[in-house]
Amino acid sequence: MPLSKKTAALALSTVTALSALAPSVFADEAYYGYNYNWWSEPVPSQNGYVVSDIFTGADIGVGSFDEVSDMFVDNETGKFYITDSKNHRIIITDENMSSGTVLDTFKYGTEFPESESIIKNTTLNTPTGTFVTHKGDKTLIYIADSLNERVLACYEDGTIFHEYTRPSSDLYEDNISFRPEKLVVDNAYNVYAVIPSITNGMVQFSEDGSFNGFYGANRVETTAEVLQNAFYKLFMNREQMRARKRAVAIELENCDIDDDGFIYTVTSSKSSDKDILKKLNPSGENIYLNMGFDNMIFGDLSTWSNGKVYASAIDDVEVDENGNVFLLDYSNKRVFQYSNELDLEFIFGGWGDQKGLFTSPTSVESYNDKVYVTDSRKNSITVFALTEFGAMVHDAVEKFNRGLYKEAKEPFEEIILRDANYWFAYIGLGNAYYTMGDNETAMKYFYMNSKGGYNRAFKEYRMDMIREYFNVFMIVIIVLIVVLFVLSRVRKILKKKKDKNAKGGVA
Amino acid sequence: MRFDLDLPKWKWPFYVARHPFEGFEDVRWKKAYHSKVALLIILVFFIVNVCARLMTGFIYQTVFDKIFNVVPIFSSSILIFFIWVVGNWSLCTLFDGEGKMNEIMCVSAYALVPYIISQIIYILASNVLTRQEGTILVLINYIGLVWSGVLLISAMKAVHQYTMPKTILAMIFSVVAMVIIVLVLILLVSLFQQVVMFVYSIITELMYRFSL
Repeated sequence: MPLSKKTAALALSTVTALSALAPSVFADEAYYGYNYNWWSEPVPSQNGYVVSDIFTGADIGVGSFDEVSDMFVDNETGKFYITDSKNHRIIITDENMSSGTVLDTFKYGTEFPESESIIKNTTLNTPTGTFVTHKGDKTLIYIADSLNERVLACYEDGTIFHEYTRPSSDLYEDNISFRPEKLVVDNAYNVYAVIPSITNGMVQFSEDGSFNGFYGANRVETTAEVLQNAFYKLFMNREQMRARKRAVAIELENCDIDDDGFIYTVTSSKSSDKDILKKLNPSGENIYLNMGFDNMIFGDLSTWSNGKVYASAIDDVEVDENGNVFLLDYSNKRVFQYSNELDLEFIFGGWGDQKGLFTSPTSVESYNDKVYVTDSRKNSITVFALTEFGAMVHDAVEKFNRGLYKEAKEPFEEIILRDANYWFAYIGLGNAYYTMGDNETAMKYFYMNSKGGYNRAFKEYRMDMIREYFNVFMIVIIVLIVVLFVLSRVRKILKKKKDKNAKGGVA
Repeated sequence: MRFDLDLPKWKWPFYVARHPFEGFEDVRWKKAYHSKVALLIILVFFIVNVCARLMTGFIYQTVFDKIFNVVPIFSSSILIFFIWVVGNWSLCTLFDGEGKMNEIMCVSAYALVPYIISQIIYILASNVLTRQEGTILVLINYIGLVWSGVLLISAMKAVHQYTMPKTILAMIFSVVAMVIIVLVLILLVSLFQQVVMFVYSIITELMYRFSL
C-alpha cells in the first residue's frame, strides 16, 4: 500500500513537472497577433500565420547568403528564385529548400551578333530583383542587374537572349542614373523596371527592348511648397524657376503583378498616406481610387505611442493567386495581409532576432498558403504557415467577397467564438443576417461596426415596421391630431366671443 | 408694437420666436426679462447638447469618441453662453448699449429656443431616417441655426437700442471679446497653478527642514 502511494505521488509529480515544462516546449510566437477595431485601435487577435521554418544558404547547400534582396516564386513550376545581392548570384531552389542551383555566369545567346565568333561570359554586379515568366516551354528569367545598369533576360541555363539598357531617349534625362532595383514583366513581355532615382514611375520597355516611356507615376502631393511654386511661377522666368526646388512625386519602391495582369506598386513613405499601394490598369491609372480606397491608410493605423513615431514604410507587395495582398512594412518589420477587397486580415512579424522577427526584411512572397519573408541582415528566409484560425478567416472572407454571405455565416460565427475582437467577422455576420432577411439581428451586428451596413439593414427594418403597423399608427396619430386641433380651435373661438361680448358690454 | 400684450412668463420665448422683428421690442417695453425662464432655457440647451451626443441615431453619429465626456459639452454650451453674455455686456456698456447684464442674458437665452427645438427634432428624426434622407436633417439643422441667428441679432438690436450696422459690428467684436476673455481665463488658471505649486513646494520644503 505505501509503495503504490509512493508511485502514485511520483507519477503525479512527474506529470506536474512535465506540464510546467510544456509551455517552454511549445513556445509561443515571438510576436503578438493584433488587428484594428472600429475606433482604429490595435486590439489583440489570434495569429493567422506562425513560423514553420527558417532557411539559410547553408540549408540549400550554396553557402551563406550575403544580403538577400529579393525572392520570386514561380507559381507554375513551384521554383524559388533568390537574389543573393552581395554574392552577385541568383539561386534557384524549390519549396523544400534542400538543394539549389546557382546562376552567376551568363553567356550571350544567338540573338547577339558577336557571339557567333566569340563566346563571351558576363557576371552580375549586385542584382536586386528577379522576375520569371514563361514563353512556350521556355522559362524566361529577368534580372535587375543594378550596378551594371541593365536588366538581363536569360533562359534557365544562363543564356542571355536580351539585355535592356539605359534608354537613349529625350524623355530619359542624362543626369538620371539607370539602376533598376525591382522589375515585373507583363503577359505581353513588356518589362517594367523600378528605378529609385526616377519619380515619373516605372520605366517600361517593350519586348524588343525599345523604351516605351514611364508607367504608373505617383501623384504630386499638394504641399505648401507646390502652392508656393505656383505663386512664384506667376512672375519668375524660366531660369529662376529652374533654380527653385521642384516639388515631385515620391518614387516607387517595389512592384508585383497578379494573375490577371494588373501591376501593383508600393511607395515607401512615412510621411505620406497617398499612393502607398496602387493597383494599375494598363493605362497606368490606379484602380483603387475608383474603388474608394483613396483615403485608406496601409500598414499600422496608430502611428505613435509613448512619444515615438511608428509610421509604416511599405517596402514590398505580394499578391497571391487568391488575390490576397501582402504588404511588407520595413520600419516596423511586419507583414500586413489584406484580402482582395483590402480588408486587413492578419498582421505578423516584428522587430528582433527571434524566430519570426526581422531586422531588415526585404521581400515577401507567398506560395501554397505559406508566406516567405527574406531578411538581408539575418540572411535567412522565414517561412510562415497559415494557422487553423487563419485558414478559417481566409475561407470566410473569400466567401464574403464572392457575395456568398449566407455560406460565410458559419465560419464567421466560429471566428467570433475563437476571437471576439475580430472586427470583420461582425460585418460578415451582419451581411449574412441581412441577406437572410433578419434585419434586426443584422442591425445588432452592424451597430458600431459598419455604418453602411447598418443603413441598409435599418432601411429594410423600417420598411417592415411601417408595413406591419401602418394602419394602427396612422389611425391613432390622425385621430389625435384632429381631436387636438378641433378642441383648440373651439376653445379659441369661444374665448374670442367671450372677450368681444365682455368688451361690447362695457362699451 | 403691441401694448396690450399680457403673456405668462413661459410664453415669452415662444412669442419672440414667432415675431423675430418686433418681439424683442415688446420684451423691452413690457420688461419681460424673466431670468428664471432664461436659466431654464440654458439648462435645456445643455441637456439637448448631451442628448445630441448620446441619442443621435448610429447612422448620423459624427463623434468618434469611445468614452462619453460631459465636460467639453458643458463648456461648449453653458460656459460659452455666459462668456458671450459677459463679453457682449462689457463691450456694449462702453459703446452706448442700454442693455444690462441680466437683460442680455435673458434675450440671448430666448433667442436660443428655435435652435433647441430644431435639435430635438434632429435627434428624433436621426433615429428614423436613413442616410439617403440626410438632406432633411441638414435642412432642419440650418433652419434652426438661421432662425436663432436672426433672433439673436434682433435681440441685440432691441436690448441695446442700436442701428442694424452697429448691432452687427457689436456682435462681431463681442466674439473678439469672448476670445480675449477665454485667453485671460486660461492665463489666470495657469498662473494660479504656478502659485499653488510654489506654495506647495515651500510647505514641503519647510516640512523637510523641520522634519515634521
